[in-house]
Amino acid sequence: MHNWCLEVWGDYACFTRPEMKVERVSYDVMTPSAARAIFEAILWKPAIKWNVTRIEVLNPIRWISVRRNEVGGIVTNPTARQMAGESSEPLGIFIEEKRQQRAGLFLRDVRYRIHGYFEFTPPEKRKANNLLLSEVWADDQENAEIVRLDEIEAKYAAMFERRAKKGQCFHRPYLGCREFACDFRLVDEDLEPAKLINETRDLGYMLYDMDFERNIKSPPPLFFRAEIKDGGINTDRREVEVRG
Amino acid sequence: MILQALKEYYDRKAADPESDIAPEGFEKKELQFLIVIDAKGNFLNIEDTRERIGKRLVGKSFLLPRSVGRSGNKSYETTFLLWDHIGYLLGQPIGDPKSSKQHQTWLAALSRLDSGLLTDVGVNAIIEFYNNNELERAIASPQLKECLKAPQCNMSFRLISDMCPVPCRSKVQEFVRNNTTRIIDKEVSEEKEQTGICLITGEFGVIARTHSRTPINKDTKCLVGFQKNSGYDSYGKEQGYNAPISKSTEFTYVTGLNTLLKSSSQRLLIGDASTIFWSEKPSSFESDFSFFFKEPEKDNPDIGTEKIKALFESVNSGAYRDDDSTSRFYILGLSPNAARISVRFWHVGTIAEFAGRIRQHFEDFAIIKLSREPEYYSLWRTLVNIAVQDESENIPPNLAGDFMRAILNGTPYPATSLQAVIRRIGSDTENRVKPVRAALIKAYLNRYHRFYPNKNHKEVTMELDVSQPSIGYQLGRLFATLEKIQEEANPGINATIRERFYGAACATPVTVFANLLRLKNHHLAKLENRGRVVNFERMLGDIVSKITDFPAHLDLHEQGRFAIGYYHQRQAFFIKKE
Repeated sequence: MHNWCLEVWGDYACFTRPEMKVERVSYDVMTPSAARAIFEAILWKPAIKWNVTRIEVLNPIRWISVRRNEVGGIVTNPTARQMAGESSEPLGIFIEEKRQQRAGLFLRDVRYRIHGYFEFTPPEKRKANNLLLSEVWADDQENAEIVRLDEIEAKYAAMFERRAKKGQCFHRPYLGCREFACDFRLVDEDLEPAKLINETRDLGYMLYDMDFERNIKSPPPLFFRAEIKDGGINTDRREVEVRG
Repeated sequence: MILQALKEYYDRKAADPESDIAPEGFEKKELQFLIVIDAKGNFLNIEDTRERIGKRLVGKSFLLPRSVGRSGNKSYETTFLLWDHIGYLLGQPIGDPKSSKQHQTWLAALSRLDSGLLTDVGVNAIIEFYNNNELERAIASPQLKECLKAPQCNMSFRLISDMCPVPCRSKVQEFVRNNTTRIIDKEVSEEKEQTGICLITGEFGVIARTHSRTPINKDTKCLVGFQKNSGYDSYGKEQGYNAPISKSTEFTYVTGLNTLLKSSSQRLLIGDASTIFWSEKPSSFESDFSFFFKEPEKDNPDIGTEKIKALFESVNSGAYRDDDSTSRFYILGLSPNAARISVRFWHVGTIAEFAGRIRQHFEDFAIIKLSREPEYYSLWRTLVNIAVQDESENIPPNLAGDFMRAILNGTPYPATSLQAVIRRIGSDTENRVKPVRAALIKAYLNRYHRFYPNKNHKEVTMELDVSQPSIGYQLGRLFATLEKIQEEANPGINATIRERFYGAACATPVTVFANLLRLKNHHLAKLENRGRVVNFERMLGDIVSKITDFPAHLDLHEQGRFAIGYYHQRQAFFIKKE
């Protein structure tokens, strides 16, 4: 399993603490799930599952307090009437009615290095992904021999490397919230060693990720004890205890 | 992090036998009135516990069974154990449609009391009070008017033989202690409780669905709260389940927070943000912190100055007095927003770090001034002097928080503060450059150039610096000298050039200085003391020799230096050379 390292940076970031997600307050550093989302923005396929092993902080932790307008609502599912195309209440959200002014405490001028690897899931172990049509093959032999030969980890590794080097992404990666878009580049740590901030302290419990495997509809959150050591946080699930 | 630090504070206080922080299941709360009854439940009178503190009447605080959050149109369905608002106890005022419903809830709650409580004499007396219809006598009593007039009216009962109200009787307290969360919630929580991992402690426990309220700015609001169907529900979770915090942790952080917000020594109002601060371990920095920033008290005006001096004296140890310099220190700024509390700033550092930065702030602000000026300026005094009309309600809302952040981070002061002070000097024709304004500009410029070094900038000194290379500074000196000449030529004049020309001289020197220098000749001609004239001529020559040209305009930093040059030169006129 190859471990990749991405350098990501942006003007603002908000890794919202769950307890303060209304009047947003960010965690001090990037959370593993935010880092995972960046990897996934560059490459994600049903065959792979990203894991984040280490987060390194390159810029000093700075804060900014911003008051802004946000939307106090989420789009609901269409009603039967709406689906039938009959005249009814419009589906959209009217910002004038749903506007809320909220204060937020965000991070300023951040730069991180995130390390991660993906776990490869061979085709036979993948959960059926609501295929509408069954796969069609020329003959049994093709199905058995040729087609699935390319379903190997190296294929995805090469895809990721190619895409990350070129700066390709499925959607623009972001730092915690979609409005805080970030830049990224693939780095080789041996060639470009990072200069981390000089900070060692306990950051308390931090969100690790949501446990979609246990319950896809209402996933329980997972937490871990985040400790920053000389600017780096170990988030490797094989090494740190994750509770939830 | 914030909640964790608040919990730490609570735990620290709870471990200290001398502190009076409420134990789990309890809350310190004011009861403004007590209904005094005898052991048979006969009504005697209504006692007013309030005392005048400053301008306000403050009720006596008691350690009561904890209140629970209630809101919405069904809020009347919740009541507290053996104490509550007048609407619940007496069903008053009658005109209010809510109070009769509240009273019904109260009676229902009394009839459902746990058998463990019924052994207490006080509790039985309360039940008898309602059974014997003593309620009418209570309502008819003359003191009731006072209760209805009071802005807040929490009540309970007191037995005539006791000193404390019934909820504080030892039997009741013991019962609450053994049934910490259950007793009050029994009626409220009909839905199933959820369990999970608490995000503060990492322990497994029952998750709090709603969090208790925190008093802030005459109102009570939640620090942690999620309204339903308003965009906060995520991943199929509503309300408190969005952020799993166990019930006992919820109690500790809320109690810690409320205790800090009520404390007089660990709370400070900065702009509109209520700021609280505490350290990991008890420290004198923690108890003295507010003195660094607040206005001196009337009855002891020198205490703040003494504390700041102590800060300067502890340079050698690096921290403050005998404190452990590596002990962590937390500063939290909260301000109300809609029905919630928002975090305006949050700083974590060691005592040594903060002590050093605050010391730096006062060093930067040091400037020559008359002895009747305070030695150190409080935060409020600094900000109010740059607000429109010098009124505190005109302090720009963000400025106070940003300013405090700059002090605590040791970063440059906000650019808005320089803009505000120059604008204020421009509009305040009478005073122009007050010492506090000059101090702010000096601190701003020096600190700015410490972060963004510029070889053309020479540090602004505390007092007059004739060799300062800045053109703005020298123009300011020239302007002050011209004003002085005019003052001596025409004593008692109504409008001097300060009132008329300061703004233009500072922003666009080329447009006014030629005119002013011409006027000066007439002023000098009026002076009778020829020696004085020679003196002035020499002084002007000295200043003008440093000015190569009158610029068309000065930028904001140069305008700042103009103000300081003007201020320094004026001070030099007043303070006699030794």
